[in-house]
Amino acid sequence: MAEADTQELAYTPARSKLPRTSESARVRVLTALSFAGMLAVWIVITGTPVTPPLVDPVFLPSPLSVVQTFMKLMRTGYQGETVLHHLLMSLMRFGIAFTFCIVAGVPVGLLMGMSRNVQALLDPPIEITRPIPKLALLPLFIIWFGIGELSKTIVIITALFPMISISAMQAVRGVSQRKIQAAYSLGASRWIVFRRVLLPASLPGIFTGIRVSIGIGVTMLVGAEMIATSDGIAWMALSAADFLLTDVVLVGVLLMAALGYGLDLLARLIERRLVHWSGKEN
Amino acid sequence: MVVDSTARAIAAVQLDTPERCANAKVLFSGVSKCFGDGAGAVQALERMDIAIEKRDFLCVVGPSGCGKSTLLNILAGFEAPSSGQVTLDGRAVAAPGAERGVVFQQGALFTWMSVLDNVAFGPLARGKSNADAREIAGEYINLVGLSGFAERYPYELSGGMQQRVGIARALANEPEVLLMDEPFAALDQQTRELLQEEIKTIWQRTGKTILWITHSIEEALFLATHVLVMTARPGRIKASFASPFSRDPDPLVTTTPAFAEAKREILRLLRDESIAAQRQESSRG
Repeated sequence: MAEADTQELAYTPARSKLPRTSESARVRVLTALSFAGMLAVWIVITGTPVTPPLVDPVFLPSPLSVVQTFMKLMRTGYQGETVLHHLLMSLMRFGIAFTFCIVAGVPVGLLMGMSRNVQALLDPPIEITRPIPKLALLPLFIIWFGIGELSKTIVIITALFPMISISAMQAVRGVSQRKIQAAYSLGASRWIVFRRVLLPASLPGIFTGIRVSIGIGVTMLVGAEMIATSDGIAWMALSAADFLLTDVVLVGVLLMAALGYGLDLLARLIERRLVHWSGKEN
Repeated sequence: MVVDSTARAIAAVQLDTPERCANAKVLFSGVSKCFGDGAGAVQALERMDIAIEKRDFLCVVGPSGCGKSTLLNILAGFEAPSSGQVTLDGRAVAAPGAERGVVFQQGALFTWMSVLDNVAFGPLARGKSNADAREIAGEYINLVGLSGFAERYPYELSGGMQQRVGIARALANEPEVLLMDEPFAALDQQTRELLQEEIKTIWQRTGKTILWITHSIEEALFLATHVLVMTARPGRIKASFASPFSRDPDPLVTTTPAFAEAKREILRLLRDESIAAQRQESSRG
């Protein structure tokens, strides 16, 4: 057999390198400008050394005072606990619920995607509970599971579980029939087809579900820490609002945003490592 | 059934003569396939009788939707016939199996595996040790001219190279029968012609029995020992021929008058069927 025809050597991207880098540089500049613009609006509203504040600092503190409050909170903590403690408590509540949903929700979704029977059995409970606003269930969970960590974890789980299991189900259903047929005709058993074809081929779809659920999960923290709590980053913001400590509220909000962003960044990093082929199918 | 073959470039032959059936490696006996039931039922294949002997290279051409891929899917074990049966060495085909290697048009590679892991998949699945599977895979990667690309991923390769991987993957199991479902349909003309030559070499060297589905008459005449022309749906055998061109060592045999004559003959047969297929399409709305 001849050598591979040289004219069809490895794939090269359609666009050459040069315009690409200048394009991404321009995008980065525009992104930075967007951030700077938002900060400028904030500064103008809250007053500069030469202009008076347009609103009372009680309603909107200046960026500088938010930074100062953050530094102060880092030193003295809030309500007897360090900021790190509040952050870790929130992270823990999210983490336990999130881990449970991945460990249980992904297999359930995969089973639903592979078996009509399993789907017929498990789809109704998931579909019926899906439209219910999960926070509305929190009082019920508190009656059932008490005011401890359990009800908080469960309310987050009820929000994330359907999302993760359904995305796994759809991912496994979307696996190309040809790849499955190819595997069987290469002599693979059902187990090998699952482990080496269905599972890896579903990973990109599963990851999409996981990333969406990170955003929802952080949002759910606010609800979970609304009742019967005395720690957590959302609780910090909520309770500070009772005392009109707007700067503390803003620190809490920004910390939650940072938490969500950080977790998404982490998920994206793992995604790029684990499913490097995602989106590259021709 | 044999027409005056001195006047024609290709000779009409029957593919289900008693001698061929007795010698058959693969035998389709009265295979019909109907999809769906009731009013929406579609008859895809109707009573197909085909004997494929060992070392035969059978190309099936037909208008779109005539059921030629269904024919291949039934032999592959992906679909069961509604009636009739397919046998391989006398045993009925019921499920996919490693002795029937399949090469698909495209998109059937395991995107998450390197070229080496793709090709080693079959040997591993059949119980070879990791080291053995990798060694076998390496050999077949060399055979299809991809040495140096073993650690690449399919998405880093051109369409032609991806098809080479697909061929190496199917060959690595050393199947007795190769099933090819329009494997080169998505490739550009130059790449396709090159790969056709290489497939011919592989076939001559390994003596596989090949069932090849294509919509290209030229490809069929160039590669096949036997060409089967199918009718529009429901797919039946319209005509079958023995083609002398696959044994011709000249890679440019496609430009000879005899080849053109043969092409014309099949084109004429296919044209009526394509018109019928078009009419079916438009009447379905």
